[in-house]
Amino acid sequence: MTAIEAAKTYTIPVGPLHVALEEPMYFHVDIEGETVRDVDIRAGHVHRGVEYLTTKRSIYQNVVLTERICALCSNSHPETYVMACEQIAGLEIPLRAAYLRVVAAEIKRIASHLFNIGILAHLTGYDTLFMYAMQVREIMQDVKETLFGNRMDIGAMCIGGVRYDLDAEMKTYLSAALDKLAPEVAGLADTYRRNHTILRRSRGVGLLTKEQAIDCATVGPVARACGLAYDVRVDAPYAAYDHLKVDVPTLVDGDVWSRAMIRVSEIGASIQLLRDCLRDLPDGPTRLPDRPDIPAGRAMGKCEAPRGELVYFLKTNGADEPERVKWRVPSFPNWDALRFMLRGAKIADIAIIVNSIDPCVSCTER
Amino acid sequence: MTRLPADIQSQLAAAAPGGVEYSSTTTQGVVTGWCGLASNEDLLAVGKMLHQLGARLAMISALQPPAPEEEEEDSDEGANDAAKPVKEIPKTFGGTPIDGKSYELDYHFVLGGDFLTVIAYVPAGGSIPSLTPLFRAADWPEREIMENYSLIVRDHPDPRRLFLDPAIDAAVLERLIPFSTLVNAASTKALWDKVLAAKGGAS
Repeated sequence: MTAIEAAKTYTIPVGPLHVALEEPMYFHVDIEGETVRDVDIRAGHVHRGVEYLTTKRSIYQNVVLTERICALCSNSHPETYVMACEQIAGLEIPLRAAYLRVVAAEIKRIASHLFNIGILAHLTGYDTLFMYAMQVREIMQDVKETLFGNRMDIGAMCIGGVRYDLDAEMKTYLSAALDKLAPEVAGLADTYRRNHTILRRSRGVGLLTKEQAIDCATVGPVARACGLAYDVRVDAPYAAYDHLKVDVPTLVDGDVWSRAMIRVSEIGASIQLLRDCLRDLPDGPTRLPDRPDIPAGRAMGKCEAPRGELVYFLKTNGADEPERVKWRVPSFPNWDALRFMLRGAKIADIAIIVNSIDPCVSCTER
Repeated sequence: MTRLPADIQSQLAAAAPGGVEYSSTTTQGVVTGWCGLASNEDLLAVGKMLHQLGARLAMISALQPPAPEEEEEDSDEGANDAAKPVKEIPKTFGGTPIDGKSYELDYHFVLGGDFLTVIAYVPAGGSIPSLTPLFRAADWPEREIMENYSLIVRDHPDPRRLFLDPAIDAAVLERLIPFSTLVNAASTKALWDKVLAAKGGAS
């Protein structure tokens, strides 16, 4: 066997620490020439045992702990956890609190999506667009800092309602911020729709069919980019979503570009939702008057986090600490879909395809 | 997407000859169903039935329900110890003892927006069939359960460790882990020796 014959296939490592990956994950990639033949994903580099820790903290302390599982979807974790607590205790939160939960969630969604499409530009080498997207995102970071006092962990949720309120001044401020954001997002959408560099690197790359998406149980923008119109806000409404009109954009091509465009469209939909909330925000209390007792029981909670359906299971036995808290983040099933997306892809596109599922490793491994 | 059918209880009962315990709640129009299985041998048949309905496996939770705490007894000096009745260990409706060592496995399915959780119990040392051949999404959760507990998932196509390194002991969630170890704050003997050496000898 000559050296040339032997060198037809290789196995290359990508990660766990790699310039193009934002978080540690190890990909064991079989390649033939420049083409990926198969991928094995090896996880566990940021496993912290948070699930175990939740059973050592009180039910109320876990509202704070769950917010620290992840940064970009930090608000979705306590939001879903408190929904499960409220279900066990049979609590109905005030309508104003339900609207304020939507406001917090949509602000976080816009900031998360802008970050992801910015990284796509960065990975295509178009750093000017990356910095521009991050500059636009800064409007939402300022909104978070002004409304909640923090730029990432906003601490908005509590069992029985929310921990913040919007007075007339804050409503005017948020409305003005949205007026500033909307034309910027429209401009970004136009660039992602037409720009040659973006299109050349993302159109037809990292394909996932609808059948594969169903098979892998994918959720969120990854599923909606290949025609699966599932959105928890519409299919299983919570908070005030049953009072609001939620626009769920879908595309059919299932490539990197479609996933990015779903996120771009969702930013527009979130801006509209925020405006609707500001218009309809009812008067009343923002939380139940007393800290409620959580009796023994079990409940499921789910919400539409920026990356898709987030599921919580809570089992209590009347003690201060929960018996079990278990959650499944949207990235968890979406990793599996990467195997299909990466097969047949070029080595140079691996990072772009991995970023297109908007992966969250610290969420996945807990 | 199809939601949880109205006759789901009878469909579950037909698929699980061992018997089921079904209850459900509805919040904001979303149904959350709970289906306990008397026999964990019925899990595969129920899985097949739900697969045909188009259900998506969203998550699998594993836990070891703690044994009920012993009630404090009157410590009368004159009480006859020999006459103390033997404590009966409570059981699930299917007969699995709730002794703090049995496992409860909750398979959370989503149909449309509705939830259906199928609950199977396994006594200590037992095993459960894998759902991965039916639901691809069961692969990672089952591997995670195998590394956290000493529970065997039968016929799993790829039973490797998922998050924990093979060097880490098995069944971490069945052991008491001191808080100092958990937060990695325990200091080693080597560190202590170094401190003493820096101070100019241990004597």
